[in-house]
Amino acid sequence: MRNYEIFATTADTGIRFKGRDFCGLYENALRGLNLLLFGSRHRETRGDESSHFSYRGDGPENVLVNFLAEVLFLVYQKKKQVVALDFVHADGCWLDARLQLAPCLSTPKVDIKSATYHNLRVVEQNGMKSAAIVFDI
Amino acid sequence: MAADAEIFASEGILKQAQDDASIEQVVNVACLPGLVGNSLAMPDIHYGYGFCIGGVAAFPADDGLVLPGGVGYDINCGVRLIASSISVDEFAAAAESLGYAILQRVPTGLTPRSNYKLNKKEFLRVITGGAREIVRSFAGQAADLAFIESGGCLPFDAPGIISAKAYERGGPQVGSLGSGNHFIEIQVVEEIYDPQAALVFGLEKDNIAIMIHTGSRGFGHQIASDYIEIFRKRNLGRLKLKDPQLVHAAIKSPEGRNYLQALNAASNFAWANRQLLQEDIVAIFERIFRQGRGKLGLALVYDQAHNIAKFEKHRIGKDMASLLVHRKGATRAFPPGHPDVAEKYREVGQPVLIPGSMGSRSYVLRGTEQGAALTFASSAHGAGRRLSRHQAVKFSAQSDVRERLKKNGVLVFSHSEQGLREEIPEAYKNVDDVVDVTVASGISEKVARLRPLLVIKG
Repeated sequence: MRNYEIFATTADTGIRFKGRDFCGLYENALRGLNLLLFGSRHRETRGDESSHFSYRGDGPENVLVNFLAEVLFLVYQKKKQVVALDFVHADGCWLDARLQLAPCLSTPKVDIKSATYHNLRVVEQNGMKSAAIVFDI
Repeated sequence: MAADAEIFASEGILKQAQDDASIEQVVNVACLPGLVGNSLAMPDIHYGYGFCIGGVAAFPADDGLVLPGGVGYDINCGVRLIASSISVDEFAAAAESLGYAILQRVPTGLTPRSNYKLNKKEFLRVITGGAREIVRSFAGQAADLAFIESGGCLPFDAPGIISAKAYERGGPQVGSLGSGNHFIEIQVVEEIYDPQAALVFGLEKDNIAIMIHTGSRGFGHQIASDYIEIFRKRNLGRLKLKDPQLVHAAIKSPEGRNYLQALNAASNFAWANRQLLQEDIVAIFERIFRQGRGKLGLALVYDQAHNIAKFEKHRIGKDMASLLVHRKGATRAFPPGHPDVAEKYREVGQPVLIPGSMGSRSYVLRGTEQGAALTFASSAHGAGRRLSRHQAVKFSAQSDVRERLKKNGVLVFSHSEQGLREEIPEAYKNVDDVVDVTVASGISEKVARLRPLLVIKG
């Protein structure tokens, strides 16, 4: 498995991602979502503004759903793509980061309505944390 | 397991359900405490989040459970059917103009802004009053309300329980179609199976009808996400769930009560949305045919939800019981004589609308006594996907979807080539199989079959 990739279910679509630590996991989740939304792997920009995201949850699944839901809200409602993360703190129960934002260069390729908990589980194997999240589209 | 899992299916449907693990999901619901009767799946069963699509589950209204996963993310996603006295020949001459005009007028696709710029006060009135508020303040006829499930309005009086994000997402979207499997179709009534019921519903062979399929857009999705999160937090460590999407709360708990209020607000949004879309389309028909809706025979047949939870009374043994019935990808199908069926339809039963895919037939059925006894008066809601969106795009890569459908007599209008490829007819199961099983099991009776002539996709 690559650091992040898209997969399809019959009705919906999701992303798989992995990282050596929680920073890597959240960062690759963001990259996977950007790939799904905009079809490109990287965007070479730091962004022209930022917003603060802090979420304390009950586990990495809970943090991931809320983090990706925020990214989706910014894309669809504010027309801003999260292009990078500056971490203040990242563990399995807390993500605190500045989200670097740049205007969306194109309309998203898919209309993602929600990030779901469906079969979502962060697993650790051979020193890598990985997860797969399904989006309702 | 507290109850049994009961699936209405043919061998073929059952095989598909085994392959996609949706049977396991019906079983998981059967394990929930306090379930009344069995955990049910309609003949269009397929894999969902936690709760299968086509799933029906009922809990006691006083001390039972409510599950956001038993409703789905697109709260009150549903279908509206409008009959007409326009013949297929009259339609043919105007088809292209109608298609372009509807595509131009109705916001479709990703997060479109509605033509109706509602301020906060107006939006609150819409989510409180549903289709009633649209008829009162915007457009439409009061007579329509009798032919909308629940009169197009469920009680809601707690705006504070809905998140700012839900207001922000929903505010600009009242009166928009959306994307994915949502559509507007102009169809011809191709076959009548039950002349008496068809006459009562206003459906006449070879006349055209309009079908609208959409829901509560970002507003309902945000409410579902918010309350799954709230239920999760309040019940963490207490619930042992087979699937986290089956998170639930007691109906009478504060979070249960708030979710049911929010669900009503999203349901009202969806009924208002379909009412506005209908009025936009009716105005286009009036302009192009240069006749009023009365002369064109444009009349609402029915509007029904297929993602909802509602309080209803059902016979359990000898007694009537008050239940909260969850239907996710399932439709209500009240039998003849039921007091909640519009008076005009009471003798034949409630219409049940089962859309096919773009390019395949849709059906109008009616509720039966047997369905009331077997399924808490529930029926199927559609065909269900067979191919993933990615597979569908690959499958259609070498063909011109519009041309292919045109050869089959279906004109397609869409701003999105990708969206069109994702929704090719081959991506869906055969709706005829679903309807055959629905009828054979006695859940509903066939009234009419409709064939698409023109499709507008998001």
